[in-house]
Amino acid sequence: MPTLLLIPGLVSDAFVWHGVTARIPAVVADVSTQATITAMAQDLLARHPGRLILAGHSMGGRVAMEMARLAPSRLAGMALLNTGMHPRREGEEAKRQEKIDLAHKSGMVALAESWLPGMMAAGRTPDPALMADLTAMVCRFTPDIHERQLRALLSRPDAALSMPGWTGPLLLLTGAQDVWSPVAQHQDIAALCPQARLEVIDAAGHFAPVEQPDRVGAVIATWSAEIAAQADRIPETPLFDRPRANAGYALNKMAMALSTPEGRAAFAADEDAYLSRFALTPDQRAAVKARDWEAMVRLGGNLFYILKISAVDPTPIRAIGAAQAGMTLDDFLTTRLGKVTNG
Amino acid sequence: MAELLAGLGTSHVPSIAAALDKGLRHTPEWAPFFDGYTPAQDWIAAKKPDIAVVIFNDHGNAFFLDRVPTLALGVAEEYHPIDEGWGPRPIPPFRGAADFAWHLADCMVEGHFDPLICRELDVDHGLQVPMELVFGRPAAWPVKVVPILINTIQYPVPTPQRMWELGKLLRKAIENWPTDEKIVVMGTGGLSHQLQGARAGFINPAADRAWIDEIGPAPDRWRDMALTDYVETFGSEGAELIMWLVMRGCMDARVKTLHSHYFAPASMTGAGMVLLENAVCSS
Repeated sequence: MPTLLLIPGLVSDAFVWHGVTARIPAVVADVSTQATITAMAQDLLARHPGRLILAGHSMGGRVAMEMARLAPSRLAGMALLNTGMHPRREGEEAKRQEKIDLAHKSGMVALAESWLPGMMAAGRTPDPALMADLTAMVCRFTPDIHERQLRALLSRPDAALSMPGWTGPLLLLTGAQDVWSPVAQHQDIAALCPQARLEVIDAAGHFAPVEQPDRVGAVIATWSAEIAAQADRIPETPLFDRPRANAGYALNKMAMALSTPEGRAAFAADEDAYLSRFALTPDQRAAVKARDWEAMVRLGGNLFYILKISAVDPTPIRAIGAAQAGMTLDDFLTTRLGKVTNG
Repeated sequence: MAELLAGLGTSHVPSIAAALDKGLRHTPEWAPFFDGYTPAQDWIAAKKPDIAVVIFNDHGNAFFLDRVPTLALGVAEEYHPIDEGWGPRPIPPFRGAADFAWHLADCMVEGHFDPLICRELDVDHGLQVPMELVFGRPAAWPVKVVPILINTIQYPVPTPQRMWELGKLLRKAIENWPTDEKIVVMGTGGLSHQLQGARAGFINPAADRAWIDEIGPAPDRWRDMALTDYVETFGSEGAELIMWLVMRGCMDARVKTLHSHYFAPASMTGAGMVLLENAVCSS
C-alpha cells in the first residue's frame, strides 16, 4: 500500500490536513527545516520510504511537483491544492520581504493578522474560530522558519518545465474564491497533464482544506483510496495501464512504424523528419533522440514497441535494461542477471 | 474424437530465435539451453501430432495499440512469420488447422469466450520460438497450428483464473472434434523477466523452478494467484506465464511430468519447459 503523505504549505502543519486525517490514514510532512523546494523534496523522499501518494497544499504543492520531477517512479499519485507551477513573478520578492520583516519585527501573531485574512474565501466573513486555530498554527512557527520557507518559495523551480513528464494520477483542487492561487493556475497545470481532474470547492479560499474540511477531506480520502487500490503495487514496475497507454500512444505508434522497411529507412535517413510525422511531446521526442530508454518508458513508451528503435540503431536489450535500472551494464549483469542456473 | 496428446509449457524469448538465426545453437552459451529441449522434442516427434494449439501473446507486431483484442483466435489456412523490425526470418510459413480452429471458435462463443476471429494473421516470436523449440528448423512444419492470442501487454489483462477456464473449454472442444487428429497444446511465455522500469532485469529462478516443478502435480496455487502476484513474483513481463494455465487447465487433474528443463538467464529471462501427459491416457 502506498503511503498518503500530506505536505503543508507556508507556516502550516497537521492542522490544515485535519479534514483528511480524520478520514484516512496519512502522514503529515515536515518542511520547516530545508532552505529550498528541491531540498524539501529530497528530504521527504529520503524520510518517507516506499511508494507515496502526495497531497501538497500551496507551497506543499510545489514540493510535491518537485518530488514528481526527482522521483516519479516513487509516486502513485499526486494531489495539488491551492497552488501553482509558475516561478517567481515580478514584484513578488518585495512583497515577500515585507512579510519577512514584519514577522521578525512584530512577531508571528502580527504576521498572522496581516497575512491570513487575504487567504480566506473572498467575499465571505471568516469564521472567528477558524481564524483563531490558524493563528495558533502560525504561532507554532518562528520568524526564522517563516523567512526560510519564503526564501525557498522565491527561488522555487519552474514546475511548468517538469509537469508534462508527470503521467500518473493528478488531482487539482482549489477554492472557488481563492484569490491567491486562483482556479486559472490549476487549469494551467491541467493543460499540461491531460489526465488531471480538477475540483473547485465553493465557499473556500486559499485555505480550502480547513475552510471546507469535510468536503476537501472527503475528496482527498476517496481519491487517495482509489489510487491506492489501482496503484502499481510493485515498486519500479510500470504496468502498461490506461494512463501510460494514453501518454505513450504517439511514441509507441512512431516505434511501431519501424516494423516496415520503409519506416526503418525513413528513420535512418532523417530522424527529425520521421519523428515529425508523429504527435510526440517535446519530452518524448528528446528522449527518442537521446535514446533515453528510462525516459521513454516513463513517458508512456512500452518496451515491446520502442524496442524497434534498436532495430535501426542497435542497442542490446540488456543495455536497455541497465539504463532503466540506472546501472552500468556490468553491474546490471552481475546483480540482476548473474544468478546463472544452467541445466 | 480428437486426442489430446500432451501439454507443453515453454518460454518464447526472442533471443532464442536470434541465437538460432546466428548459428549459436551449439555454442557454450546456448547449448545447455537448447539441449534441455531434446528429450521433449524426441517424445513429440515420435508421437506425430497433427495439430499444435499455441497460446501466446502478440508483442506489438500483429496488433498495435489502436485495437487490442483481449482474446484472439486464428482461423487462417496459413500464417506467415512477421517482420518484427529486424527483417524477415528464415523459417517456413505455418499451415493453419482451419477446420479445427472454426470448431474452436464455435465452442468458444457457445462457452461465453468471445474471441476476435482472425482470417489473416502474421505471427511473431510468441508462436515462432515455441515451434522452433519443439520442431527444430524443418523445411516445412510437421503440424498444423491454431494460434490463440492473449493480451498480456496493455492493462486490463485477463485473470489467471480466466486462462484456466479457457483451457477447460479448449479440452471440451478437442473432445468434441470428430476426427482422430492428435493435438498438442502449447502454453507459452515466461518464465520470470521484466523489461520495463527501474526493476528491469528482475528474474526469480527460485520461483521459476517452483513453477516448473508444480505446474503439473500441484497447479492449484498458481491457478488461484492474483495477476498482481504474478507480476510481483515473475516480473511485469513474466506475468505472461498465465498463458501456461490455458494448457494446464486443458489437461486432466492428474498428469505425468514427462520432461522439464530450466535455464537462466536466456537474454534477460528465466527460460524453461515442461511436457505433461494425462496420467490415464485415452489411447
